[in-house]
Amino acid sequence: MPMPSALSFELLGKCSVTKARAATLHLPHGPVPLPIFMPVATQASLKGLTPEQLEKQGCRLCLNNTYHLGLKPGQATLDAIGGAHRFQSWPHNLLTDGDSFQMVSLLKLAQVTEEGVRFLSPHDGSPMLLTPEHSISLQNSIGSDIMMQLDDVIVTTSPDLARMKEAMERSVRWLDRCIQAHKYPERQNLFCIIQGGLDLDLRRECTAEMVARDTPGIAIGGLSGGEAKDEYCKVVDTCTGLLPEKKPRYVMGVGYPEDLVVSVALGADMFDCVWPTRTARFGNAITSRGVLNLRNAVYSTDFGPIEEGCQCTCCRPPEDGGLGITRAYVYHTTAKETAGAHLLTMHNVHYQLNLMRLVREAILEDRYPAFLRSFFAKLYDDKSKYPEWAVGALKGVGVDLLSD
Amino acid sequence: MSQGRPTPEVSQVPREMVDFEVLKTTGARAPRLGRFTLGGRKPILTPAFLGNTSRGVIPHMSPDNFGRYAGSNGVYVALEDFVEKHPEKTPPVFEYNVPEPLRRFAALPQDTPLVLGARRTPPIPTPATHTNTAISLLTSVGYKSVSSEYYAAAARKLRPDVVVGMADIPFGQATISIKRKDKMSDRTEAWLRHLVTTRNTMAVAPGEPRFDIFAPILPIERDLQSWYLEHLLDDMVDSISGLAIYDAFLLDDLPDALHHLPRLSLHVPASPHELLRQVSLGMDLLTVPFISSATDAGIAFDFTFPPPETPKSSVRQTLGIDMWHAEHARAVTPLSKGCQCYACTKHHRAYIQHLLSAKEMLGWFLIQVHNHAVVESFFTSLRTSIDAGTFDAHVATFEAYYEPQLPEKTGQAPRARGYHFRSEEHAKKEKKNPKRWNGELGGKGKAVLEGAHGQQPEKKQEMMHVIDDEALIDLVGIEHGAEAVHVEDLKIEDDVKG
Repeated sequence: MPMPSALSFELLGKCSVTKARAATLHLPHGPVPLPIFMPVATQASLKGLTPEQLEKQGCRLCLNNTYHLGLKPGQATLDAIGGAHRFQSWPHNLLTDGDSFQMVSLLKLAQVTEEGVRFLSPHDGSPMLLTPEHSISLQNSIGSDIMMQLDDVIVTTSPDLARMKEAMERSVRWLDRCIQAHKYPERQNLFCIIQGGLDLDLRRECTAEMVARDTPGIAIGGLSGGEAKDEYCKVVDTCTGLLPEKKPRYVMGVGYPEDLVVSVALGADMFDCVWPTRTARFGNAITSRGVLNLRNAVYSTDFGPIEEGCQCTCCRPPEDGGLGITRAYVYHTTAKETAGAHLLTMHNVHYQLNLMRLVREAILEDRYPAFLRSFFAKLYDDKSKYPEWAVGALKGVGVDLLSD
Repeated sequence: MSQGRPTPEVSQVPREMVDFEVLKTTGARAPRLGRFTLGGRKPILTPAFLGNTSRGVIPHMSPDNFGRYAGSNGVYVALEDFVEKHPEKTPPVFEYNVPEPLRRFAALPQDTPLVLGARRTPPIPTPATHTNTAISLLTSVGYKSVSSEYYAAAARKLRPDVVVGMADIPFGQATISIKRKDKMSDRTEAWLRHLVTTRNTMAVAPGEPRFDIFAPILPIERDLQSWYLEHLLDDMVDSISGLAIYDAFLLDDLPDALHHLPRLSLHVPASPHELLRQVSLGMDLLTVPFISSATDAGIAFDFTFPPPETPKSSVRQTLGIDMWHAEHARAVTPLSKGCQCYACTKHHRAYIQHLLSAKEMLGWFLIQVHNHAVVESFFTSLRTSIDAGTFDAHVATFEAYYEPQLPEKTGQAPRARGYHFRSEEHAKKEKKNPKRWNGELGGKGKAVLEGAHGQQPEKKQEMMHVIDDEALIDLVGIEHGAEAVHVEDLKIEDDVKG
């Protein structure tokens, strides 16, 4: 029996060279363009920004963290208030991750069994058990538009193949339990997560099992944990090659600009990462020519915008309704007033969302290979500095960055 | 407001001089209503308050949000937030070559009146003594001496709307000798004269604004500053546009010939009651540093002027709500009933309580917006009350209805900054901020949190697996000083069965 779905995936264009796709994903709280970058509002707030500020940067889908919200404010409060949208006054879409990342984070304190994850409460040391059923119940209370299954994640770089296989197989079994436990499939979309570490056979096997369960969307998990980038690309490439065309594909935890554009070329549609907003708090601005640390004294008298031509609230000049913030002012406030962090957070979120908008336009106009070439040419002043993994991965999908 | 002429079109007013019109007064030492107009800026109906900035922003409020939610009055900016001790060089903002460097640098709205003073309010006392030509400032990296020439040059370069003359006040000194008070008067006179000369001789293009000067009135007896006041009246009164008053009670002694000038208070109030007292003495523009300190403590104001009409209760009501309290965790209610601010109309107590306990920056922002709105409407209604002649009666009911002090602070403030301390506290050895996490789990060596997804690793090898998400570290718990727990020693119920 096909699983009910609360989304529709409208494929609008495909790159004629690479595997890149452009689409519109219609979700319960409105349509979102694909490919998409999703900022991470871990605890129901995006690092000092109001929902309106986030909205103004173009965001219509952001993340909350199931585990964090389960502890604070807690399920009872979420139920009483009517879910996380109402709780944080966010009228657009929410995605909640399924806790797996926290399990790995807490692994030294945790024990994974077939039933679930046992760990000690970080608050009082009392034993706790997190099961697929509990995770789904929490996400049903949160009311996220996209919810993620609970999976068994171990770091991709683990050498223990037997444990890797066990984790992969368990993730499939846990997906079945998540589907069983899901109370509102007609208004919340449950995504499966493909596991299998860096072993391509395990990934293939897992993909087949997950696809058979017919969830509304599919995630590729367990990556972005310090594995070599070319290995990462192989996994994404292998998985997307086996996935149905008419479903969104989400690669979890990815966020550097070059990772995004390469992953899109490999056929992925959705990404999330805390890096852009976290790095903003350290004074780092993302630009098309690389990351600038605006705490460096050279910027103290740089009265240009964070990035020339950027249309974010900070960079736009006052004549265009922006703030006309200079690099010198970010230098002046960063790490001294939280408002400095708010400014760079806005800029960085805007950069990421705008990058994906440009990517989408390029795909729709079928000029994505040219876009990739100009993207890397801007980011690196010399071809010899292009990362090998990116050159290799893009060659695999028909784009030679090094040719003219 | 019922009285007064229609507000003049801002563009018709020349930028040059402040226009201050007293709309209603019942004599000296009484509350008065006025309209304070700077060419090109929004007119301010007085009594009113100026936003108190830190490094050019109202703390917790990015400039776009300031314009959107709190930009109705002017702001007070301190020069000491823009000069640095290290490196020894021209402050960057002085090199910003645009028509209004300070306004543009801090991204303040075009129509917001901008007042520049040498020091923050309240100022942190500095250990260095002032000299005949210079005072001591606290920059973000230490104390720095700034001369009156430097200050005048800064004013000329930065082009704020109003510059408060540099005053020789030995902040933090409990007793001041008569001889020292004489010096205060002498120096302040000389420094003001210098500022006036600088301004009056400034070469400006036709139509280009200079700046207005507010003369400081020292917090010492009138007799002891009479020499200064005489000179002020004799040859500077035509060049100044207002007074900056460091002790509101000296309004009693103010020479009659200065009564037409707007009065800016730099007398630090501790409570709304003290604001009312200053207004009752005839203050026009006030600064209210307790807004930000209450916000930092997570206290949301809950007072109105006059107080609500309710059956008389024997218990006085609190002036603010401590939003750290868990009792708000499920309250889908605004901070104050009927408040029209962004925080109250768009969010609720449950969310704000969550944000504070999760230490999310947005929590402080929302309380800050609310607290500014409460003080804003406090001033709006006290103007109405003055106009209706009911001010004194309303002050009496306000004092009877509310507790005299803001509530005690219980919650944690955000990370403390240098300007939160008095200088003697800097000398103390203990950490100003508690260490958040000692990196140890169960006392078994360094625990490193490792991420699989949801976390982009750092490029630096040593940082690759380290997670510095504060929220997550909190979840792992183990705050500094918490009792160390040996994980292996803890029993899981099922283990016994197994």
